Amino acid sequence: MNFIGVIAALVTFFSVWFGHVAVRKIEFISPTIWIPTAIFATLGLIVEFLSLSTVNRSLSIAFGILGITLLFDALEFTRQQRRIRKGHAPANPNNPRHALVLADSNFHATTLDLLKREPIGKPVSSDQAIKLITEH
Amino acid sequence: MNYFGLLTGLATLLIIGLGFLLVIQGERILGFLWWPYMMMVGIALIIVSLFAQGDWLAVVIGVLGATFIWGSTELKEQAVRAEIGWYPFNDATRKLKPPFEKIIKNWRAPHL
Repeated sequence: MNFIGVIAALVTFFSVWFGHVAVRKIEFISPTIWIPTAIFATLGLIVEFLSLSTVNRSLSIAFGILGITLLFDALEFTRQQRRIRKGHAPANPNNPRHALVLADSNFHATTLDLLKREPIGKPVSSDQAIKLITEH
Repeated sequence: MNYFGLLTGLATLLIIGLGFLLVIQGERILGFLWWPYMMMVGIALIIVSLFAQGDWLAVVIGVLGATFIWGSTELKEQAVRAEIGWYPFNDATRKLKPPFEKIIKNWRAPHL
């Protein structure tokens, strides 16, 4: 039996999960996006360096996957900010960076999480999309 | 220098990229109620990776399995995105019904 595929699968699943949650939470509260971007990019490079320097194949794979996901998460901060501007993810009125976006009519930002509901099986208008999450 | 991990990471990035397509097209053609089947495919792939000849093949199959499992937890949210109009909406009548649909409807689709 070759357990290296299971190791790769577990590291992929948990690092994607971690990144998915971390990017949303950090972008929500951080007044800047360049600081978290720089931190994640640095961590990603350090973890990739560890992957290159270890002789243990399982550890090299784990670091290799984790490092790349951290580097991708660094880019995701910019993508998440774009989602906030479009209203595709909830903005935080207590975050000065988001408050500016909420006040700017060029953007469609909202404090509501329009995805936080069950599918209903039919297309909805913008107003209905808001009603579906506020009336529950 | 051991390049195996870095190359694995890059391969993972490509496979996760395919995962985006899997979720978007999977939801559009099949619908989010297929999530248990997508999850089962993922688990099956990870089990298959145990018997793969060679580390490269094992890693690619394992990561593909993890991507299917992650994708299964994204289908429900993707269905809501399509309803809002952020992605093309496909009516349920044009989607393939999953086996045991009535039972699956009683389960809460996962989201992480």
